[in-house]
Amino acid sequence: MILQARDIRKLYGEFCALDGVSVGVNAGEFVSIIGPNGAGKSTLINVLTGILEPTAGRVFFKGRDITGIGPVRLARLGMARSFQLVSIFPELTVLEVLQVAVVSRLRRGARLFASLARDREVAEQALEVAELFLLADKRTVPARQLPQGDKKLLDVASAFALQPEVILLDEPTSGVSTRDKTKVMEILVSASRRIGIKAIIQVEHDMDIVFGYSDRIIALHEGRVLADSTPGEIRANEDVVNMVIGRKGRKRSTC
Amino acid sequence: MLAHALNVLLSGVFHAAILFLVAAGLQLVFGVQRIFNLACGSFYALGAYFGVSTVTVLTGAGLPRPLFIVALVAGGIAVAAVGPVVERLLRFVYDRDETFQLLLTFAVVLMMEDILRIVWGTAPTSTGGLYLIYGQVRALGVTVPVYNLIVIAAGIAIALLMGYMLARTRFGRIIRAAAENREMSEALGVNMRVVYVKVFTLGTMLGTLGGALVIPSTAAMSEMGIDLIVEAFAVVVIGGLGSMRGALAGALVVGVLRAVAISTWPELEMLLIYLIVIAVLVFRPRGLFGAAAA
Amino acid sequence: MKARIAVAAFALAVLAVPQLGRDYYSILMLSFFAYATVLLGLNLLFGYGGLLSFGHALFIGIGAYAAAVLTGKLGVLHMEAILLVAVAASVLVAAPVGALCVRYVKIYFGMLTLAFGMLFYSFLLKFYHLTGGDEGMRVLRPTLLGFDLSATPKVQFLIGPYYYYSAAVLAVAAFVMWRIVASPFGLCLKSIRENPTKAESLGISVNRYRWYAFVISAAYGGVGGALLGPTTGQVDPNLAYWTHSGNLVFMTLLGGFTHFFGPVLGAFVFIYLQDAVMSVVSYWRLVFGAILAVLVIFVPGGLVGLVTGRGVRPGIKAMRESPR
Repeated sequence: MILQARDIRKLYGEFCALDGVSVGVNAGEFVSIIGPNGAGKSTLINVLTGILEPTAGRVFFKGRDITGIGPVRLARLGMARSFQLVSIFPELTVLEVLQVAVVSRLRRGARLFASLARDREVAEQALEVAELFLLADKRTVPARQLPQGDKKLLDVASAFALQPEVILLDEPTSGVSTRDKTKVMEILVSASRRIGIKAIIQVEHDMDIVFGYSDRIIALHEGRVLADSTPGEIRANEDVVNMVIGRKGRKRSTC
Repeated sequence: MLAHALNVLLSGVFHAAILFLVAAGLQLVFGVQRIFNLACGSFYALGAYFGVSTVTVLTGAGLPRPLFIVALVAGGIAVAAVGPVVERLLRFVYDRDETFQLLLTFAVVLMMEDILRIVWGTAPTSTGGLYLIYGQVRALGVTVPVYNLIVIAAGIAIALLMGYMLARTRFGRIIRAAAENREMSEALGVNMRVVYVKVFTLGTMLGTLGGALVIPSTAAMSEMGIDLIVEAFAVVVIGGLGSMRGALAGALVVGVLRAVAISTWPELEMLLIYLIVIAVLVFRPRGLFGAAAA
Repeated sequence: MKARIAVAAFALAVLAVPQLGRDYYSILMLSFFAYATVLLGLNLLFGYGGLLSFGHALFIGIGAYAAAVLTGKLGVLHMEAILLVAVAASVLVAAPVGALCVRYVKIYFGMLTLAFGMLFYSFLLKFYHLTGGDEGMRVLRPTLLGFDLSATPKVQFLIGPYYYYSAAVLAVAAFVMWRIVASPFGLCLKSIRENPTKAESLGISVNRYRWYAFVISAAYGGVGGALLGPTTGQVDPNLAYWTHSGNLVFMTLLGGFTHFFGPVLGAFVFIYLQDAVMSVVSYWRLVFGAILAVLVIFVPGGLVGLVTGRGVRPGIKAMRESPR
């Protein structure tokens, strides 16, 4: 298992966001996490990416305990994420955004006197990612001037530019028109293949996307794992179907 | 020995009373409008100068000298009329980054420095011998001007008044609601623009009043505003940004510590205060009574 | 391209000034050289890093007093040694102070830096046995590149060798800063300014880079302070007072913090405008306060912003997000 969360519990005061959640992801898998709002998906993602310290439980990445280590160290270890709400560097151009990621990965950030413009390796790698995400023709455009969909792509692209082994995408197609969703997913999948990403985890609401791409689906409900299986098995799972359609579930108890 | 300590303590508490007034104004504005008003020191100086003028004019016009304090207070309150003017200026940057808000208040500081010089000149002005007109009290070997006691009493009274206002009156509730959650207050029908003007003016008034009240014990001088802002800043950091109780506690800490420092090791005076400010910012950024989230 | 021509023209003009025979303005340029150096450093912190320091004058004070101590008390007259010590002292102080301050942002950063600046000011003012108190200390004439010019009359020294020396220091400082800003580090710093959370998620140590920016800007402040010393021959505690720090920020805003040369322009305009205003009326603060107000409200991009047509920078709005 390349990424594993064991018995994660997260309490916010009295409120139980996650109640004993255990998930695992193997190399080569595309895993989708689904669930209604308030199910604990964002909390789980934040715990998995080391940003949030759980009340109990531990997270392991490549066998290493990464519980709460923070985004910087996590990125160095080889895991990246994109954000649900588009998070950009408004004044930086597309190319510059990707260069930041590449510079970070190549650990060249502390080079105070080297010329960035003359760093061919950084330029080439940034351009390559831009091309993978069909943003190359916009590479000199400041991020804030991009259309919303491209901003999202850029956000995801910058995470990819870190060449992580595992990538976590928080609603990668939210805000993207239905027509473009497939296009985005295709870009993501082919980019992953090119870069050599070993596992993709996504949080997604669009069931077509979820069923179309996932090797495995984890359904989260009221802080607990409702189901964790293949798309076929999930489709047959009545509880999950009810949850997705929105029939009333049990009342949320405390952990 | 005890007498000396008491003297120091009393002088510290007197200074604390003044500091409290200015800091309370600062806290009010920060709590509601999230603006750190660097110009509060300028208001303090303005209150001082205007207070002197009011006293000079009114006593010259026949006001009995023992009533000078009425003239002083009246002057201090009246000149708070600059509050709405400055607020109007700040209104331009309410939706901008903190940096720009701070810089705009710094612009006001600069302008006020010269305005004070233009109107009142550069020589220190004072109320002359009126300081001791109420005499002094001698007890336990301590000698303290009655004026100081009046100011301390006024400070306590205003603190209580502020507390009452915030806790019991409608306006106070609005202030607390606005400080806690601006958007929701607006959604509930509170006219934020009017609230801002009122809060800012009240904050200004506390500052000008503080300046007016300090006058008999010292002269109004051109640097008093920019010197005071750093003390006021120390008060709100130690007490906690946005908290009234913090203004009171912080003022006492700074006022008394400063008095102690001056009487034991003068070089230390403000140095000690700054070290404490740094220590507070490092170990407990929210100060004594501030909100938890920085 | 236009920028390069403007810079080259400006450089030529700078070199020509002493030849024009108006000694007064040549001496004014010395202040410009010093402040431009300081501001290049401050803008790394503010314009590129997004951190507003209200205590930067601390480092001017360190540099200036370093010059005074070396020349007046220790008999070391080499300007190169003075500059070196100014940098070393500034860096030595900035390292721990910066490490502390950069962990806080926005108003807390401003408050902490203000406190440190005033701490130094208090020290300079009160410990008069060491520092000369409010009278300050004298700065003796240094030797430039080993040449002892003490025989030269003061004005001749200032508008001649010292002028070109200072200009050269500024040129070197500008060149180094240009390289820094165009480096991978510069880009990472900009990303931190734009969105610290996202920068972190890309693996960038926000605090460490801010710290580098702080220390570098401190070194520049020290150099500027050291350059100021010999100009008047006197240093005093007011160099470290908080309003002096405020004026530095003012200059940066005036020129425009969005552009590399903005602060340099700001220093130039501030110094000459202050001189012009003061020759008419001594109330320069009133005029400048009004200018600052206008700048903040209507032209936050500064003079450079006016020229390039970019007034408000959305990037600064991005700074409004999380306090941490």
